[in-house]
Amino acid sequence: MSTTNHPPAQNQQQQQPQPQQASESIPLPAHLDPTTYPRTTTDPTLNTHITLTYSPLDATAALARVSSPQAGANVLFLGTTRNTFGDRPVAQLSYTAYPPLALKTLSGIAAEAVRTHGLLGVVIAHRLGDVPIAESSLVIAVSAAHRGAAWRAGEEVLERCKEKAEIWKREVFVDGGGEWRENRERDREGNLLV
Amino acid sequence: MSPTFQIHYFSTATSYTGKQTEHLPAPLPLVELFPLLESQYPGITEAVLRSCSISVREEYVDVDGEEGREVVIAEGDEVAVIPPVSSG
Repeated sequence: MSTTNHPPAQNQQQQQPQPQQASESIPLPAHLDPTTYPRTTTDPTLNTHITLTYSPLDATAALARVSSPQAGANVLFLGTTRNTFGDRPVAQLSYTAYPPLALKTLSGIAAEAVRTHGLLGVVIAHRLGDVPIAESSLVIAVSAAHRGAAWRAGEEVLERCKEKAEIWKREVFVDGGGEWRENRERDREGNLLV
Repeated sequence: MSPTFQIHYFSTATSYTGKQTEHLPAPLPLVELFPLLESQYPGITEAVLRSCSISVREEYVDVDGEEGREVVIAEGDEVAVIPPVSSG
């Protein structure tokens, strides 16, 4: 395999997102330029809110957005960067998305969850670029009148995101190097499937 | 300038091609996309493309199916190679 365009693992704690290197003389495509984010899709009727951003995610804001007087159950999920993959220490994760498809896919997942479970609101927010250890890459918030629907919908939305959203994770290891992941490799308990 | 379309690579497709995006000559029948990429990046079909989906103008297309024989990638189109995803 050839090398990738990603910078080495060291000194990646920068505060401001940096555009990734463009190949040859072609300008950096907009979907890889952090200054073109955040990108959002909202459906006011269904109360669904989708965000792709290079900035840290705000879980409290996500929860506040779905909460309402009609809601009796509000479920919040945070997917965070774990410090190992198997036995190998992980320095950080780095995410890339193809927003035209990812926003469409995530909106569809949220809308279907509202219809299936009678939800009062859904937020799905995914962070892109480098996500340091213990920080969130994915925030899902759902609200429903009762806890059964909210729990079930929360897990269903998460699993469908993992399965469908056009977003890719690269693990950058402490000992250098990195690997692109595929969600189909592992089940929800982290067990290897392939 | 001769007419082109733009193709975006992600994840393993970026690693294999060493590129995030490039311009290729248009028009190009969809069925000729994989052979063209194979000629430029020998081995990519087996190593990468076999497990990928393809989008044209932000819609998925079925490369192997009947649709694949009818679709022609036109000048200015945006094509994306979509490997197995890994969000979260």
